[in-house]
Amino acid sequence: MRPFMHNMRGTSTLPVLLAVVAVAALFLLPNFVESTYALHIMILIFISIIMGSGWNILGGYTGQYSVGHAAYFGVGGYTTIILMQYRHIAPWYGVWAGILVAVAIALIIGTICFRLRGPYFVLASIAVAEIFRVTALNLKKLTNGAEGILITDIPPFKIGDVVITDFMSKVPFYYIGLVTLIIAIFATWMLQNSKLGYYFQAIREDQDAAHSLGINLTIYKNVALACSVVFTSLAGSLYGLYVGFIDPSTVLALDLSVQIVMTCIIGGIGTIFGPVIGAVVLVPFSEALRSNMIAQAIIDSGLVSENSGFGFFLKEQLSHAHVLIYGILLVVVILYMPDGILGFVRKLTSKRRKEAI
Amino acid sequence: MAILEIKHVSKFFGGLAANSDVSFEMVSGMIMGLIGPNGAGKTTLFNCITGYYPPSRGEIIFDGHRMNGLHPDAVCKLGMARTWQKVRPLAKMSVVDNVMVGALCRTNSLKKAREMAMEKIHVVGLGNRVKFLAGSLPIGERKKLEVARVLATQPKLLLLDEVMGGLNPAESEEIIQLILDIKNIGITQMVIEHDMKAIMRISDRIVVLNSGEKLAEGNPQEIVSNKAVVDAYLGGE
Ligand SMILES: Nc1ncnc2c1ncn2[C@@H]1O[C@H](COP(=O)(O)OP(=O)(O)OP(=O)(O)O)[C@@H](O)[C@H]1O
Ligand SMILES: [Mg+2]
Repeated sequence: MRPFMHNMRGTSTLPVLLAVVAVAALFLLPNFVESTYALHIMILIFISIIMGSGWNILGGYTGQYSVGHAAYFGVGGYTTIILMQYRHIAPWYGVWAGILVAVAIALIIGTICFRLRGPYFVLASIAVAEIFRVTALNLKKLTNGAEGILITDIPPFKIGDVVITDFMSKVPFYYIGLVTLIIAIFATWMLQNSKLGYYFQAIREDQDAAHSLGINLTIYKNVALACSVVFTSLAGSLYGLYVGFIDPSTVLALDLSVQIVMTCIIGGIGTIFGPVIGAVVLVPFSEALRSNMIAQAIIDSGLVSENSGFGFFLKEQLSHAHVLIYGILLVVVILYMPDGILGFVRKLTSKRRKEAI
Repeated sequence: MAILEIKHVSKFFGGLAANSDVSFEMVSGMIMGLIGPNGAGKTTLFNCITGYYPPSRGEIIFDGHRMNGLHPDAVCKLGMARTWQKVRPLAKMSVVDNVMVGALCRTNSLKKAREMAMEKIHVVGLGNRVKFLAGSLPIGERKKLEVARVLATQPKLLLLDEVMGGLNPAESEEIIQLILDIKNIGITQMVIEHDMKAIMRISDRIVVLNSGEKLAEGNPQEIVSNKAVVDAYLGGE
């Protein structure tokens, strides 16, 4: 007897059931969790999943490793917030404008950069994102330069005269994030089961073979980029609105671009749930680093004395060393789990079956 | 009627003439053998014909279309498909998904593409490998996968670059039968092959390249008795 039924599409019902239960639990969670810090972490995880899913379409499925996705995150966030702050356009219109602007810019950049392959494309994507960061720093009239833009208040969201939410707590952001991430995951699933998905993966596996099988590389790479940027831009808008502040060094930084890529690589690129797992692992980890929780735990455990040189280093420097630690983590994952955590688990569970899928 | 006309095609890589002033025609339904020693320019000619790079000089007419400047995807859509000497499986995709990518050239429906793919997979004899990852196949089956994938694009003209290279005699025989089957369903083929016995058996006509130039053209009997060919190529074996 098989442990669970398989439906016609070949996907087993157990994961679907698990997903439904998980989603239901997530929808109910704010009713039970009082801690705003827990909600805060959840919202950061949601945003990370959204941007990871976005990158995954281009990087994971199409094989175009952009290390400049902060550009689209930033453009989305800035567009929404500038429109709201200076033009009094409500963010639920602004986010669409953000997507439009980000996609338009992406298509221009894509048409130029997609001529490049492999490492050259990676370098170009980094360079482009840096150009955006420097531009945002210097376009002071629009972006307020390095000082950034502080959101004074978000207008309440009304349907007719009924106020749906006034954005005074974290809860509305929690739900917006949750719904958006479900849409992102659903979109990835749809893509994977469409002609586009086949073409994206063919380009990833062998660009020349794909080309000779009738796939227009420029068009399909740009389509992948556009799909990818929709979610990256959404994540940027959501992040800016949630944090209430936007500046080039957080939303347009190379750090962020790397973090987006890391989320996918750690979880497992080119899989629907890779970004979810990556975000669930990486966000709490980087929060713990930032808040010095890890250093404190090491000292509290008595492994290292607070007064020793190493203890001092841990307390004072570890939180600044998160890029270094990310780097180490990345190397470990690439060496020991080349297909990410998801790929690793799959390999363990399907050792008996030698064949595909 | 000529389905493919190659007119004075040259291709230069810096100072090297990989093809120089090559001309010949192919009639619909035939199998053209393309032979020549290593480095003769056979693969280069395939690359020029399929738009992988533009010829430096000359003209290629396929099915009434001038091909110069067309990209490989457009060439494929017009009905010309090629396999690669160094096979290019979409390694992390399954066999059926590989062939579906080819089939999707003619349809937007995954269902139709899957049906078409399954049909071609059975034609080349990979029916028991449908769900295997392409990257896990041995070389003989990879070569068959290449053929299934291009067949799925529903070509009028098929260019096969050493599909028997690296295969054992039994596998080669299967490929020979496959090529003859493909001819029977009316698809025109140009076949690059080093195995002389095989090429003599399957070809209606043969073009011999040597150092980028066309050395000879004719039916198999004419080629084996051509003195220049024997000297340059066959004699060397
Ligand atoms: N992209 C390239 N750049 C420079 N030189 C090239 C390129 N492609 C092929 N050549 C050269 O052109 C010549 C013809 O190569 P080609 O691959 O067409 O030969 P071939 O007849 O297919 O040989 P083989 O039987 O070994 O496959 C060779 O000297 C090769 O080194
Ligand atoms: Mg060759």
